[in-house]
Amino acid sequence: MRVPRGVRIGLLLAPALTVVVVLFGGGLAQALAQSLGYQPFLAPRPLGLDAYRQLWTDPAVRASIGVTLRIAVVSTAVAAALGVAAALTVRSLGRPRRVFGALLQVTLPVPHLVAALAMLLLLAQSGTLSRGSNALGLTGDPAAFPTLTQDAFGWGIIISYVWKEAPFVGVVVLAALSTGVAELEDAARALGAGPWQRFRHVVLPVITPAAGASSLLVLAFTVGSYEVPFLLGRPFPATLPVVAYQQFRDPDLTARPLAAAISVLIAVLVGLCALAYLALTERRHPTRLVRR
Amino acid sequence: MRRPLARLTALCLASTVVLTACGTASDTAAPLPDPADWASVTAAARGQILDWYMYNGDEAVNAFVEGYLTRRLADEYGVRLNVVGVADTADAVNKVLAEQQAGRTGDGTVDAIWLNGENFATGKQAGLWYCGYPAALPNARYVDLEDPSVASDFGVPVQGCESAWQRADSALVYDSARLDEADVATLTALTEWARVNPGLLAYPAAPDFTGSMVVRTFLYDTAGDPATLAGTFDAAAFAPLADELWARLNALEPALWRGGETYPVSQDAVEQLYASGEIAAYYTYGPGTVATKVAEGVYPDSTREAVPSIGNIGNVSNIAIPANSPDRAAALVLADLVQDPASQLEFYSSAGIYPAIDIGRTTPEVLQRFAAVQAGPSVLPLDELTARSLPELDAGYVTAIEDGWTANVLQR
Repeated sequence: MRVPRGVRIGLLLAPALTVVVVLFGGGLAQALAQSLGYQPFLAPRPLGLDAYRQLWTDPAVRASIGVTLRIAVVSTAVAAALGVAAALTVRSLGRPRRVFGALLQVTLPVPHLVAALAMLLLLAQSGTLSRGSNALGLTGDPAAFPTLTQDAFGWGIIISYVWKEAPFVGVVVLAALSTGVAELEDAARALGAGPWQRFRHVVLPVITPAAGASSLLVLAFTVGSYEVPFLLGRPFPATLPVVAYQQFRDPDLTARPLAAAISVLIAVLVGLCALAYLALTERRHPTRLVRR
Repeated sequence: MRRPLARLTALCLASTVVLTACGTASDTAAPLPDPADWASVTAAARGQILDWYMYNGDEAVNAFVEGYLTRRLADEYGVRLNVVGVADTADAVNKVLAEQQAGRTGDGTVDAIWLNGENFATGKQAGLWYCGYPAALPNARYVDLEDPSVASDFGVPVQGCESAWQRADSALVYDSARLDEADVATLTALTEWARVNPGLLAYPAAPDFTGSMVVRTFLYDTAGDPATLAGTFDAAAFAPLADELWARLNALEPALWRGGETYPVSQDAVEQLYASGEIAAYYTYGPGTVATKVAEGVYPDSTREAVPSIGNIGNVSNIAIPANSPDRAAALVLADLVQDPASQLEFYSSAGIYPAIDIGRTTPEVLQRFAAVQAGPSVLPLDELTARSLPELDAGYVTAIEDGWTANVLQR
């Protein structure tokens, strides 16, 4: 007897799907319910969109949206540029390519929390850099060193993200470059294409989808990540995840719907990134999708 | 592509609903011990694993809990203590809240929490705590249950829903190489010193526990007479004082760390700033622990403590037992053991934490040993520290102050 194909796929996917559904779907459903005012522990109140209306009036949330997008977009753009440049450089190295390719992967397993703490020790006004510049006589007391952590722009957060994410983009782009691009370039060269033409018409089309897709993942991550902006950022204005947690920690339980509404907003932003990622990968690799 | 995705989404949503519904089935635990029959409590506690959620940012407290308390619980009661460190006590309360919300009424994962103030009030608002045991603990005879700081917690009546563990009196820590005694005699003198030496004073952003206390200390100083702030929250009396307070704190900003442009995110960050010499003075709830840091060389030898003229806010922190704790007997044993005069003495001498019990009710010998503890020149002696103790304000004030500070000082 043959198990129908649909059922078989369903069964095979079940373990992974269960984890996603229980951990993520369950949390999301709870957040949605709470954002609408569902709080069984308090005196019952009518459900409604009050928390979402509050999103636009709360000063912490209003200030947060700009900061969140600025940090996410700048981090992603810088990480993408550096990552692509690193991949192209490593590829052009010839023999030592393996070593440098491996070097790119060193930062990948380092947790963001550790990276943020390391940045704090390095960049704070009393950190290693400040001490170094003091020893060299460049700056006087700690306050004379430029503020790179808890600064108004968010440089500390951005530097931490770039340090972690540029190698990620680099590794993805390098992988895309290793799929027979050299042969295509040789062919183009044989047909008389110059270096710029080869880059423009052979290399660029290969790395664009890889760089675009990995950048979208970085963007989604930096929009929704908590620990780095908490450690290196300001209590106000803070990024959306930090504000959501500030509200979640409010001892007054009636602040919970707003916290949940902010979380739903973050989920929507990250979801949009994910949809853009799917659209991009689908468009660029139409032949790779299994169609039946 | 489109149809399978839709089907997948439907599947996800459907299973989410089913699984969330499954989560609400409740379990029944073993019969619960009665604290009035203490022998039955110790018998039931034997072999239990006690999951104690506590703030773990204080090394000296950690050492006492993981050494002395863990040993005594294991040796004398057969209880295995499992300390679960949290960076913020609200996390532990949220865990209990989430569990009880999900229907885990008898088999929670949290057996005890070290807390007070807003976190206690949050749990009480949601009915999370097991109540009615503190007076029945054998060592409760050493505790003055009528003492206002024991009977009410930041203005919230305790009503037997938590038991006292330790006392925290705030103090100003300063580097005597950069400030002298006249600079710390009053808050006005301190702000004047900060104006002349900008950037060397800091407090963490409220609602940080300590940051909130600093703002409340300034409120007391602004009010002048502590009696005006006694009792439950009075919005009409608070409003004019608050305007004055925000004006004063905004005027102080240019003299603070980073010119008050931003605030440290936590008390940990403030203490690191002091250790690295970026600031020269800060407020703390743990003045007894400063001696250890000086001894270890983390803080300069010239570190001293002071209580500015208005006085210092002090409170008692407690152990609360969630109603859904599966190891209630072991939690009761812990609540009792920490009130034992020997534990309180050890806590004071090893970690510099002040006793929550009334040491006058113990033996003359214990009293003598408390008096004999030498903390070094950096730490204020117990009598000087408690001479001008101010009570914590009603929880209504605390919320109003934290929200008001955020809106009128931080976001301004």
